[in-house]
Amino acid sequence: MAEALQKKLKAEVDKFTLMQKDVSKSMSARQKLETQLAENNIVKEELDLLDTTNTVYKLIGPVLVKQDLEEAKATVTKRLEYINGEIQRYESLLKDLEKKSDQHRELLSSLQQEYQKAQGLAVGKV
Amino acid sequence: MFSIVKSGIIHSVFYHVLQVVKDCESRILHWKKVSGDYEALTERLQTLPDQLSYDIMVPFGPLAFMPGKLVHTNEVTALLGDNWFAKCSTKQAQKIVDHRMKYVKSEISDLSKTMKNFEARVGLVRDLESISSSKGDYVDIREDTENTGDIAVTKGKQRIAHKPNSKPKLDAVLDLKEEDEEKEGSRKCTTTEEELWARLDELEKQEELQDDHDRLSYNANMNGEDTSSLSSEEEKEGDAAPAVNGLAHSEAPPSSGRKADEEAAAAEEDDDEEEEGSCLPTIFFSHTIEPKKVRINTGKNTMLKFSERKEQKEHSKRKNKNGHSNGHSHHELHKITTPVDIYRLFVDVKNGEPVPRKSILKSRSRENSVCSDTSESSAADFEEGRRAVGRSFSHDETTQSDTSDGVTEEESPTAVPLHRASRFEAFSGTVVEKEPMPSAVPYLTISPPALPTILERKQEEVAPDVAPPQQAPKRLSKFKAARLQQN
Repeated sequence: MAEALQKKLKAEVDKFTLMQKDVSKSMSARQKLETQLAENNIVKEELDLLDTTNTVYKLIGPVLVKQDLEEAKATVTKRLEYINGEIQRYESLLKDLEKKSDQHRELLSSLQQEYQKAQGLAVGKV
Repeated sequence: MFSIVKSGIIHSVFYHVLQVVKDCESRILHWKKVSGDYEALTERLQTLPDQLSYDIMVPFGPLAFMPGKLVHTNEVTALLGDNWFAKCSTKQAQKIVDHRMKYVKSEISDLSKTMKNFEARVGLVRDLESISSSKGDYVDIREDTENTGDIAVTKGKQRIAHKPNSKPKLDAVLDLKEEDEEKEGSRKCTTTEEELWARLDELEKQEELQDDHDRLSYNANMNGEDTSSLSSEEEKEGDAAPAVNGLAHSEAPPSSGRKADEEAAAAEEDDDEEEEGSCLPTIFFSHTIEPKKVRINTGKNTMLKFSERKEQKEHSKRKNKNGHSNGHSHHELHKITTPVDIYRLFVDVKNGEPVPRKSILKSRSRENSVCSDTSESSAADFEEGRRAVGRSFSHDETTQSDTSDGVTEEESPTAVPLHRASRFEAFSGTVVEKEPMPSAVPYLTISPPALPTILERKQEEVAPDVAPPQQAPKRLSKFKAARLQQN
């Protein structure tokens, strides 16, 4: 009885750890997106400040590719939107993961209690 | 224990706050560095367009340099962010740089603010730690509220439960005092109680005397003026000679058909009364309109309040004899306002000394009554119980023509005598007679002079002892006997 509980407990613990990892991953991704968001906002502002006389280059690997100002602006804007979308997605994902992790946590605690009781009984018996 | 827990919590908080502060510091450093770089950059941008070209040593890889020239000094490719570049003049670059500088500076200011807050928190946590561990200058202020609390609680409760006797005095004493004094007051209470009991004993003795005197006066009233003078004489003699027996003997001859012992008792009572300065006690019961007094026959077939007559007599006698007694004390002594007064006034007389009566119901008014001689029969009755009293009463009714008076007389003291009967004698109540019963005189011949008074004396104590020899005359009505005796 106790052994079965113990196995069960272990499985549950593993699941819980996995979930926790997912949560942390999503968290970090979201943070990245947030920085990119900030950066792109700055780029947009800068591009707005520039006039057509200046040429804009985009770094693609080791190559600087000449870009049109308007295109650059558009690109940056699109990127920004993309980033925002990504952030929202990640946020929802994070919420789901957190809920799941909480449920799992409760399950784990109950299992732990049962296991302790079983162990206590076993000790008593012994 | 609480301090230990507290210290643990405080420690954790302390560490957390410290970490935050460190983080803030690192960020601030970073931003400061950035701002330094930007400042250098602006400087460079300002100096660069001074010359069209510069001869420089161009770095080739990590270890080699090549001499070269720097041209297009005004053209700068600025990184906008996210792998986006823009070619612009130095001035435009300058603008960008300024822009960034602004951002950096704002970041630095924010971080410095948070750092300040956390530093304050650190200080607070350190103080808490010192308080919890009770070191340093911080001390928990605690006040002992035990004493003050008690006083506050008991300040309202000034009164303590006193015994009824001592209550009137002590309330006045205690109301204004505090706890300690209250205790003293309680102690005081006990002492005053003792005093009061002693006083009660005194008063009982006085009462006895008074009753005797009343009885005497009553007898005197029955016989007219002579008796009054006689009683006065008795009193006088009583003053001179406190001995009871002596008085009895001296007074016996003048009285006709009166018990020497009664007189002696009365005289004794008078004696004590005179000595004690007490007068006729008058018990005023709330349930009765008129004072409980013995109605006496004044000889003119008029009903008078026994006590009134007595009071008058007493007053007159007193005025005649005692110069020291004044009306005030007279009235005050008479006045019964508290139970204490009762005990004061109703005193027994034993061996020439006033003894507090054990029961005021067992008053000497019985002696005052005409049927005091029936103590023997009453003693006999005591053995049989109260029904003997009833029997005697009924007997009285049947045998005497004046039983109407006797009945009325019986009724008033019935309650009292019955009560007393329960204790020691069947009947020892006050006797009320309207007029003398000459017809009753020949009836009663049995009234041994010696026994009744002795019985009266020992009413509370030795009644049963005297009972047996008096079984025979028991049948005779007490009233009759009393009347006969008196006459």
